[in-house]
Amino acid sequence: MATLLRGVLRPLYAFRGGPGPPAGVPFRAVSHGTGLLYPEHIPTSVLQKVLLAAGSAGMALYDPYRHDMVAVLGETTGRRTLKVLRDQMKRDPEGAQILQERPRISLSTLDMGKLRSLPEGSFGRAYLHFLDVNVASGRGMTRVSPDTRAPTRFVDDEELAYVIQRYREIHDMLHALLGMPTNILGEIVVKWFEAVQTGLPMCVLSALFGPIRLSAQSLQLLISELIPWAVENGRRAPCVLNVYYERRWEQPLQALRQELGITEPPLRVEGLV
Amino acid sequence: MAAPRSWALWSFCGCGWSRAVSGCRLPGLRSSSPRGPLGARLLSQEKEATETHFGFETVSEEEKGGKVYQVFESVAKKYDVMNDMMSLGIHRVWKDLLLWKMRPFPGTQLLDVAGGTGLAWILGDAEELPFDDNKFDVYTIAFGIRNVTHIDQALQEAHRVLKPGGRFLCLEFSQVNNPLLSRLYDVYSFQVIPVLGEVIAGDWKSYQYLVESIRQFPSQEEFKEMIEDAGFQKVTYENLTSGIVAIHSGFKLYLR
Repeated sequence: MATLLRGVLRPLYAFRGGPGPPAGVPFRAVSHGTGLLYPEHIPTSVLQKVLLAAGSAGMALYDPYRHDMVAVLGETTGRRTLKVLRDQMKRDPEGAQILQERPRISLSTLDMGKLRSLPEGSFGRAYLHFLDVNVASGRGMTRVSPDTRAPTRFVDDEELAYVIQRYREIHDMLHALLGMPTNILGEIVVKWFEAVQTGLPMCVLSALFGPIRLSAQSLQLLISELIPWAVENGRRAPCVLNVYYERRWEQPLQALRQELGITEPPLRVEGLV
Repeated sequence: MAAPRSWALWSFCGCGWSRAVSGCRLPGLRSSSPRGPLGARLLSQEKEATETHFGFETVSEEEKGGKVYQVFESVAKKYDVMNDMMSLGIHRVWKDLLLWKMRPFPGTQLLDVAGGTGLAWILGDAEELPFDDNKFDVYTIAFGIRNVTHIDQALQEAHRVLKPGGRFLCLEFSQVNNPLLSRLYDVYSFQVIPVLGEVIAGDWKSYQYLVESIRQFPSQEEFKEMIEDAGFQKVTYENLTSGIVAIHSGFKLYLR
């Protein structure tokens, strides 16, 4: 159909020539409109995925502020794991609902007013507090907002694309649940938890390579206290993708932690970098 | 030619060997080919329905200018880094060859269109240059003409602003003449370049557009004919790197 379209439009081109794509070259008609699996989708060949995975891994190590590269790494290496996660979600009643309803977390979908009106000690208030602290302050912490989660592009399955999107969007909730700030140490701890929970190659790589840039003192604390705690909690907790967070704003934070088997962190990570 | 600024800005400086860079059309700046009163505008508005290409995508002519503008807004910051990465620094050799061919000397009035960042610059539209007729000795455009919506108009404008005896020089991506190299070039273009764009500049789509727009550009012979149609004489071209790029040259011998 694309060829037909081109044939019809050719005489209308403003100039002569315009050879169009040579044979064998991936024709972009597939990338426009109807061929896309979801709006932001960029179809990629196997070679491109390999190059992207390698490139994004290298760039993420080189420039830790390139969060988009971590996301790309996740998308290009996660296919098998995402399938396992998706199947896990399907088997769980709450997870299946999430897959069905596809809730999205962004500033436009969050009712900030409602969250603020919730009682102190509720999960919703804790999440809000987390957002306030980490958006407002700039004390060496990364700016976060639900909207800094870039949309999925390189996953060639629209349900799996949602699963990885959901994983990204609940990342902040995990910070709140684990009581970890968004400095580099806090992020690494959450990554260890996520690596054990999801098995995503990107989480495993980040967990293993993230600590490279830490000071000796932080590294020591990480290895002796924080990682064992994160791993233990990650193993004990049910799949965090199966929690419909948006329905649990009123639930007391402690109760939710207990439900998920998450204990208090062994030490305060704020101010430690 | 090189430098990380919004490419829509172009410049002119009138003394000695002057350099000026001119941009392709800006969104909102519509070029009406018959210049003049509002009446002429209405005529060109009918052309809105005409479609053209944006890489391998089909868009209306109206849209193309804006979309190209967005591409270059997006790539501006990492323009030089990306050019170095994609061509392994060879783009500098190509540009040097262009200058060598030009052999400018002090006093040459040179207009460099779509020049990226440079010296003093003026904002404008390659299809409607804000210069009088017969002004420049040399008009150059390097890796810019491919992005212009109406290439024929840009060529006509080039002819207009050149003095009699003036030279038109265009450095642009073209068709590879070697079949083996062509296959390798295609793989590199379509498999590697957008990945480089994503990893280095965080921008897949602009670099996808780049490699597609190269394929959409006319061949060496076709472009030569277009240059002749604009009134240039003694039009020749020279392939560089087996035709990955070509330098086209033409002379304005007569007053229009």
